[in-house]
Amino acid sequence: MSARPMPMATHLIEVRLRPEFSDAEGASALQLLQAEGLSSLKEARVSRLYRIQGPITATQVQQAARDLLCDPITQEHRVVVPVPAPLNGMNFWRVEVWLKPSVHDPVGDTIVSAIADMGLPRPEAARCALVYRLSGRAAKPALERAVARALANPLIHDAVVSEAHP
Amino acid sequence: MTVAAEFGVLDRTPKELRAQGDARHLSLNEAEWTAIQTHFRALKREPTLAEVETLAQTWSEHCKHKTFTSPIRLTEGKKTRLIKNLFQETIVAATEAARKPWCLSVFEDNAGVVAFGKDWALAFKAETHNHPSALEPYGGAETGVGGVIRDVLGCGLGAKPVLGTDAFCFGRPDYAGALPEGAHHPRRTLRGVVSGVRDYGNRMGIPTAGGGIWFDDDYRLNPLVFVGTVGLLPRWAVKKEVKPGDLIVAAGGRTGRDGLHGATFSSANLAENAPTSAVQIGHAIAEKRLLDALLRARDRRLYRSVTDCGAGGFSSAIGELGAKCGARVRLEAAPLKVAGLAGWEIWLSESQERMVLAVPPKNLKALEAVFAAEGCETAVLGEFTSTGRLVVAHGAESVVDLDMKFLHKGLPKVERAASWTPPPTAKPAGGAAKPPAQILREMLAHPNVCSREWVIRQYDHEVQGGTVIKPLQGVRHDGPGDACVIWPHAAVGDDSDFSAFAVAHGLNPDYGRLDPYWMAMACVDEALRNLTCVGADPARAALLDNFCWASPDDPKQLGALVRAAEGCRDAAKGFGAPFISGKDSLYNQSKDEKGRELPIPGTVLISALAPVPDARRAVTMDFKGPGNALYLVGRTNDELGGSLCHRVLGRCGGEVPKASPACALDGFKAVHAAMLKGLVLSAHDLSEGGLAVAAAEMGFSGEFGARLDLDEVARDPRIYSDETLLFSETPGRLLVEVKPESEGAFLRHFGRGAKAAPVRRVGQTTANPILKVVGLAGNTVLEESLRALKDAWQATLPGMLK
Repeated sequence: MSARPMPMATHLIEVRLRPEFSDAEGASALQLLQAEGLSSLKEARVSRLYRIQGPITATQVQQAARDLLCDPITQEHRVVVPVPAPLNGMNFWRVEVWLKPSVHDPVGDTIVSAIADMGLPRPEAARCALVYRLSGRAAKPALERAVARALANPLIHDAVVSEAHP
Repeated sequence: MTVAAEFGVLDRTPKELRAQGDARHLSLNEAEWTAIQTHFRALKREPTLAEVETLAQTWSEHCKHKTFTSPIRLTEGKKTRLIKNLFQETIVAATEAARKPWCLSVFEDNAGVVAFGKDWALAFKAETHNHPSALEPYGGAETGVGGVIRDVLGCGLGAKPVLGTDAFCFGRPDYAGALPEGAHHPRRTLRGVVSGVRDYGNRMGIPTAGGGIWFDDDYRLNPLVFVGTVGLLPRWAVKKEVKPGDLIVAAGGRTGRDGLHGATFSSANLAENAPTSAVQIGHAIAEKRLLDALLRARDRRLYRSVTDCGAGGFSSAIGELGAKCGARVRLEAAPLKVAGLAGWEIWLSESQERMVLAVPPKNLKALEAVFAAEGCETAVLGEFTSTGRLVVAHGAESVVDLDMKFLHKGLPKVERAASWTPPPTAKPAGGAAKPPAQILREMLAHPNVCSREWVIRQYDHEVQGGTVIKPLQGVRHDGPGDACVIWPHAAVGDDSDFSAFAVAHGLNPDYGRLDPYWMAMACVDEALRNLTCVGADPARAALLDNFCWASPDDPKQLGALVRAAEGCRDAAKGFGAPFISGKDSLYNQSKDEKGRELPIPGTVLISALAPVPDARRAVTMDFKGPGNALYLVGRTNDELGGSLCHRVLGRCGGEVPKASPACALDGFKAVHAAMLKGLVLSAHDLSEGGLAVAAAEMGFSGEFGARLDLDEVARDPRIYSDETLLFSETPGRLLVEVKPESEGAFLRHFGRGAKAAPVRRVGQTTANPILKVVGLAGNTVLEESLRALKDAWQATLPGMLK
């Protein structure tokens, strides 16, 4: 056995429903946001975002994403590379809802052991977020307020609202 | 002795101590602080932080039910009397009076246990998770379900959960008024709570059925979330014991910082500065692994006792198991979620999905193997001793060294004041008269009656394959059932044994606004008549009480609570139905948007469990065919006080419905006996909305009509009003459908004495789906299409959630 330590890394994987499928979760989220006054929103799609940290390489995370986190029939996955959000005239939004670091994340726990069960290096930690991709005009403060009332509970969630690619 | 994180107690005034404690959410009062001070002055040392926290947890309202066990001085008008121990004098007294040999364990364990057939027993527990659900509806409800499942798992040597049940009280989902900052809208609370109950039950593979929802805007800041579980266990596993020398083994989830101060926090009014650590997200899969491993170890008899880690975490679980002997704990052995937890944090953390077992050392290896096979972690935390002391260490640091006697018996009893003024009996007044057809339509569309399909369809009530009578009934599987019947053949493993059981609830805070005593009576009556309707034996019913009240520091609230408890006592005595377990949740009040205190209406949930002797004889509530006779069991009185009819009309006053247990039980027993012979086609209880609503529901579920003649109704002779006969909510009444050729045989089951329940043929079913009612004067009072009534009944909840 070599004593060479594996590099620690943080990977972000997004798993979303393929665009040809209708998104019930998204429809429900859209309804909730519209009920909070954001009537000009047109569409919402929901995906899941996994943050996996630990001595695991990008290729191994790809493998876990393909075989574990994603249902290849209905879903697709991609590695998320943080880039500065482009300004798009407030027409497309991305809302990430994370459990606060102090709150236990059972989905993350299960992923850690499932990745280890695949024979891959055991990650240090994993967290899961819900991502809402919204299209339609909205003002950021109004959207943040609606998210706090309909999609996230500020007591246990951190919600990040940003302008996004279409 | 090294004392870490000392908590200066010895030289402070009680007032200072209370302030110091409140800042840490300890919820101890001055008298309790004085007792702690006296104890440690005698020991000539300061308590450690963990000791103070352990005492606060163990003595909290949540764990010790201080209000129910302390002396209460009750003033009723000019009379004053002293109640030494409300719990003993009401709930326990009723159970002792009933003296049923089939009660195997009452009030002792985590759940009540009754016999089920010769070899089996049923454990039943219901409790609330109100404060966490108010802060985070999804996580609060989820962990509530997880907790009550663990209660049943930790009952006896462990019971297999075979049914989950729930009841909620919320503000109306279409509430349009203002809310204080940070409070969730009732619509969101409803959605979150339902999702939480759904996700935990469905993921663990436990059917969820037999629930109820009550909407009232006074619950908008303090929603009530009752969750219950029924578990099945072999008779030999009912008794448990701890022997000195047994190892303390923790199993299941790891310990983290979550859930600190849950018990003490729920023992105070809900205020803005609630600790976020009191809210958690449950991990149903972890609990499922724990369940599977535990039951396998139970059947190999690898441990002697078990309990769950609920409020107070290890401190209360180990404290309870070792209460009679003593325990030595080494916290550094506990598996942690994150490194760097202090000793007191490990000791008091309320991380979910954990249980504590007492394991004879020779079985440890085998036990570890069973748990490891399910991917479930275990750790040996120490051993039970015979010293009578609770000694906890974290590495070299002494965390707790307490006398078990002081911990469990040292709580000072403070006398509380209560007062009760009977409400003036006012004639019904106010509101506008409406035609009966319109009242009926509005009652069916009322949130407290309307279809709950939106909720029920989210729950998996079919898993385990034993749900014989389902929550939704009728030809289109969408009618409102009275109770669910579970045939636990998968858990029993014998398909030739058709013994089943049913679970039902009774709840009506509107009666309580007039008189909590009659509310409690009516709730017991409602739970029993619901059970009777599906074929359960009303003479074998066991009850759970769940009191949810505002602050008992207010003498008026406490007086009302005493009234309700006395109602429970008299109902249980009258019906011969023992209480086997229960819970209370007090301090359900918060400041509204204008800073005024908003207390909830005093609420009692009665949950009842009874065996169904033969699942094949179970009955649903929908009409089965045209031309069948309709019998009304029970007498109708002019009791519209607190009724749905008055609510719809905006009327107040009137007589609150009064149950008469002896007569009602006589009727229930007769109907049950007839059901066992297969003489009853359908049966439905008369509750909110009275006869009219019951007949309409039976009709639209079976898609047959009915013609009722009000002159045939057994009634108080002073009633001259058709409306009263249609909408009065007198308890103890059932509407029963009988085939014309069985009418004689059916009637032979009813007594004829003065105390027997009256039974009258009040009409018949018809092929045309129309509800027609003929009044006292022979005129048609009401003629409504059942289709239209059903549409109104179904549209409400989906409409309010838009």
